[in-house]
Amino acid sequence: MPGMWWVVGVVVLAAIFSAYLGWTAQRVERVHARAQSAERALDAHLVRRAAAAAVVAERNDSVELYAAARLALDAEPDERESAENDLTRQLQQIELDPDDPAARTLIASSRRVVLARQVHTDLVRDALTARRRKLVRVLRLPGRYPRPRYFDIVEPVMPPLPGPAPAPEAPLPVRSV
Amino acid sequence: MRIGIVSPYSFDVPGGVQNHIMDLAEALIGLGHHVSVLAPADEDAELPAYLVPAGRAVPLPYNGSVARIAFGPVSTARVRRWLARGEFDVLHVHEPLTPSLSLLAVLSARGPVVATFHTAMTRSRALSAAQNFLQPVLEKITARIAVSELARKVQVEHLGGGAVEIPNGVAVRKFATAAALPGWPGEGGALGFLGRFTEPRKGFPLLRTAFVALARDRRQLRLLVAGPGDRDELYGRIPPDLHSRVEFLGLVSEPDKARMLRSVDVYVAPNTGGESFGMILTEAMAAGATIAASDLDAFRRVLDGGRAGALFPNGDAGALTTLLGELLDDPARRADLASCARQVVGTFDWPSVAARVLEVYRTAIEATDGRVFDDDGA
Repeated sequence: MPGMWWVVGVVVLAAIFSAYLGWTAQRVERVHARAQSAERALDAHLVRRAAAAAVVAERNDSVELYAAARLALDAEPDERESAENDLTRQLQQIELDPDDPAARTLIASSRRVVLARQVHTDLVRDALTARRRKLVRVLRLPGRYPRPRYFDIVEPVMPPLPGPAPAPEAPLPVRSV
Repeated sequence: MRIGIVSPYSFDVPGGVQNHIMDLAEALIGLGHHVSVLAPADEDAELPAYLVPAGRAVPLPYNGSVARIAFGPVSTARVRRWLARGEFDVLHVHEPLTPSLSLLAVLSARGPVVATFHTAMTRSRALSAAQNFLQPVLEKITARIAVSELARKVQVEHLGGGAVEIPNGVAVRKFATAAALPGWPGEGGALGFLGRFTEPRKGFPLLRTAFVALARDRRQLRLLVAGPGDRDELYGRIPPDLHSRVEFLGLVSEPDKARMLRSVDVYVAPNTGGESFGMILTEAMAAGATIAASDLDAFRRVLDGGRAGALFPNGDAGALTTLLGELLDDPARRADLASCARQVVGTFDWPSVAARVLEVYRTAIEATDGRVFDDDGA
């Protein structure tokens, strides 16, 4: 009965396709959830950076840095990127003393901003790549997730990690020749 | 933090990636973290306590060399069991795009995954062609680390993603405290070279020319050479009257490498190209040797633009001869360079490198379940 084989074939194909669909839906869900988590983390580190910058600014009586930090903390979502850029610029102009605890907190949060932004950018790219696929578009797999956005700020320079353990002292093999 | 690290290559044979993983694991343990390393290895081999063997590795030709890796259903089962038992906060895989335990672990894991890319793969064009196929693997990786600028470039240009550049660490203490070889460096000045002296890019002929020129006036100057190669081939190109002043160690073990670097006044790196990161330079810096290196970009970066070691124009044997003469005659300048080098090398020490890797772990954890670690409490 050749007709039977038709049915079997269609059922097998449908099973394979639905498994593929399930797998794809799971992937799309995961990349979007991660892009959201990465955005929250980036937001948290930006807030920490601004707060730490405000503390340092108060200590140093630096009016401009304090203003930039306040503006970054209070910025509306559509002004956030430029406010953070201003703060980055202000931070690049000051020298931080790695022995001062407030400065160390600021250095640590500035480093985490760079890393969090890097990861956020990668995860947003993954999510956008997933959204571009025809199957994902046609079936509206991203569902409840909004389209993720890049956070468009200038790449802050990563300050060096404060306080690396100094190399152990050892007699140097240097003598006169 | 509970950290699971996966090595693609077997610990039965030494190699750069394996050494990196061992040093990183030990540094992380030293910082108070729980670390488990999964690697292909025989069950009855003698292994460090943190290493979990995943069975015997099969030699497979890969990327121009033979890699001993484990792959297949049995390995998959072991990876899954290790993941289930480990309850790791973060999974750190190395070279995840080779068919290996690393790739299996990425495919099996849920949660924060950090991947380190060591080599700038020569088949990077094939890599970008395979990108659609690799996308399900790549999107499971939360954060990427590249050990060199070159490895990072491959990420950016061929895999369309960023990567944090964290260079290899160096076990500073091990190099700084090694004992010099008996009788070295001696009173007449000693130059050192480590590497495959037959490979043109290592630039040994430049050093040979400089040494022969310098040895005429400096009756006690000696040269210490270590690395793979044939003894006769080395001595064949050196005037016979200088043979007694050239010592050849052949291929050296890690501890002997440290002793060798402690045994010279000036370590010479005359490389003419191809060096993606001056690992050997950081080791020579840790050993307290003064460094004379060609002005490749990578060397310039490691040597802090020439503050931590003297640079000479790439490929210029005459300039190298002059520079070495100056350094041998000026102990104060050598001491200055070496003490600056010792400061610079602190940033390459494994505890510092491990601290930077931990920052990436925390970033990856935050990006997967939204947990935000407090830097102060970590």
